[in-house]
Amino acid sequence: MSHSGVTGVPGATGPSRTQWLVITAALVGLALIVGGLLYLLPVLQLLGAHDAAPVRGVPAPAHAPPPLDSKQRINILLLGSDNDQKFQQDALLSQTMIVVSVDPAHHQVTLLSLPRDLWVDIPGHGIGKIDLAYARGGAPLARATVEKAFRIPIHYYAWIGLKGLVRVVDRVGGIDVDVVHPVLDDNYPNDFNDSGYGTERVYIAAGPQHLDGRHALQYVRSRHGDLLSDFGRSIRQQQVLLAVRQRAEGMDLVTALPTFARDLNGHVKTDLDLVRVTQLGLFMRGLGGGDVRQAFITPYVRDATSPDGQQILLADWPAINRYLRQLFGAELLP
Amino acid sequence: MTRARRALTVPLVALLAVACSSNGAAPHDPGKVVFSGKHVAVSGKLYATKGRSLYRFSGTHLTSLLAGVMVKDPAVTVDGARLAFAQLQEQSSAIVVSDANGKARQTITPSSAPEGALWAFAPHYSDDGQQIVYLTDRGKQPSSPQNLQPNDLGVWSCDLRSGHSERLVAPVLYTGGDSDPVFRPGVNDQLFFTTYLYGGAPLQPVARLTWMSTASKAITYLSPDLARNFQPTFSPDGRFVAYIRAGVGSDDLYVMPLGPTFSREPRPYPTEGALLLQSGIISQPVWAPDGRAVAFLKLVNGSFDLFILPVSTDGTIHPTGPAEAVTHGSFLDADSRLAWSP
Repeated sequence: MSHSGVTGVPGATGPSRTQWLVITAALVGLALIVGGLLYLLPVLQLLGAHDAAPVRGVPAPAHAPPPLDSKQRINILLLGSDNDQKFQQDALLSQTMIVVSVDPAHHQVTLLSLPRDLWVDIPGHGIGKIDLAYARGGAPLARATVEKAFRIPIHYYAWIGLKGLVRVVDRVGGIDVDVVHPVLDDNYPNDFNDSGYGTERVYIAAGPQHLDGRHALQYVRSRHGDLLSDFGRSIRQQQVLLAVRQRAEGMDLVTALPTFARDLNGHVKTDLDLVRVTQLGLFMRGLGGGDVRQAFITPYVRDATSPDGQQILLADWPAINRYLRQLFGAELLP
Repeated sequence: MTRARRALTVPLVALLAVACSSNGAAPHDPGKVVFSGKHVAVSGKLYATKGRSLYRFSGTHLTSLLAGVMVKDPAVTVDGARLAFAQLQEQSSAIVVSDANGKARQTITPSSAPEGALWAFAPHYSDDGQQIVYLTDRGKQPSSPQNLQPNDLGVWSCDLRSGHSERLVAPVLYTGGDSDPVFRPGVNDQLFFTTYLYGGAPLQPVARLTWMSTASKAITYLSPDLARNFQPTFSPDGRFVAYIRAGVGSDDLYVMPLGPTFSREPRPYPTEGALLLQSGIISQPVWAPDGRAVAFLKLVNGSFDLFILPVSTDGTIHPTGPAEAVTHGSFLDADSRLAWSP
């Protein structure tokens, strides 16, 4: 009698119980790793998109980021830009510049807004408005400019475009904001039409309300109807930032993170790594309303006209330095 | 541990840490009005909007009105027979009046003029239902990106018999203008509204409660500079004003008694003796037609919902019980007024 095929061989021994356990554990471990990688891929792609290459003529960051287990202050330069069709991708002005300073030792975060029209020395490019630094040399030059002008060590940066902000706000389910003045703008730039040019009319009533991404962008961006101009805009930008943080507190980040990352791909750039993002996220979640300090240098700047006719802001640097010492103590650069 | 294994382990451990600290799902707009579990009955008819659609709460019933019309700031006559509201279009809005069911609609303000497209918001009826005060940017200078001009909102009135409209208050430029105009019940010639300004050094946003005599055009501030008090609403007898006062991280509901008239700015301001009725993030208070409750929108778990607070105005004003939620997780429009009729 011949045998075709394979059947059990009497007397042969299969894997032992221990071997089965090892194989099962290995398979589970492999599944976890593959699943984790699939889960993390969009997040890692997002965090991998940044201006990593050093730029010629731009000073290197003054300080490396503090170690993870350190209680030293971590400063992040938050940049926001027009990134619609009418601008070259590599020549965007930074409409928003906020230094987010995380102080683990005192369990505090400071948001310091830097006015975009401030007249400063841009390393390698002479004197100009501070918003030009990002257009001329991306995040490395924006970072170097802030470090030189304000003596604040910038450890990381995060850049977000217009659509990125809209998506962030929509992804957290909209934000709740107390609109401090009615916002009216008959000439608000229509960023999302086909040409990127043209205007639309904007009205946002005053008072507490819920804003979706599009209206949140209009709220932070409009300045034609605001007597405080850029200062008013800085107040609104910080308000929206805090509202996003508050909204994100209620989110299940584990399930939301990959979708969030996929949504934001191309609209956010940062040199923060996943571990630091996680660390900062956990820190932010533990903050109460009183732990966030809002700071503005507006009292220490004045309107002026540049030699080439631009409307600019001139700083009272001794006063600003005194103010920054109050905010940052001895952690300013020499 | 090899470098590759370390690279994998650290993010996974970090994510586990985040997972352990997650607080659940973000609040989500259900796309419809959801009643609270207690089924609080609304006396009379209370109007609110959600997603720019108009709803009427009455008892424990909900009625959707004006299907397909984008509505903001509903208003109702004292007898409840007529509605007014801002009808939103793509780049403009106009004030529309109708019967109590949204039928027989008539547009009473233009949505464009030689100076450009116009906004009109926040209508409010006089006691006799013959006049409406509202906000508009009518009369502004034409604006273009090359020649930017402000388009702040001023307070206007419209006589419904003649159709004649006139400006009552010219806004302070580059402030956003005025908001929340209301007639004072029981008298024919007094208005209340919010004036938006800037004050202090450096300048900061300010909102002041403002009284106006429509007869003499005299205007008097009833709340201090360097504070934000807004969204006034009168008790039906005209003796009390409920309003919102912005605090640090809150927008609380206050109430204050009001003198019969004002010949000069009162000191101390009436707001300085006001009583806190409800704390939280509150918006759009409106008094019940019988004076026994104040309705408002309150932010709870990421959603603005409708609440009713019972109050008594016998002697001194005070709440007579806790505020009760009419809706739950409904994401009502907190930038749109409430209106309440018998």
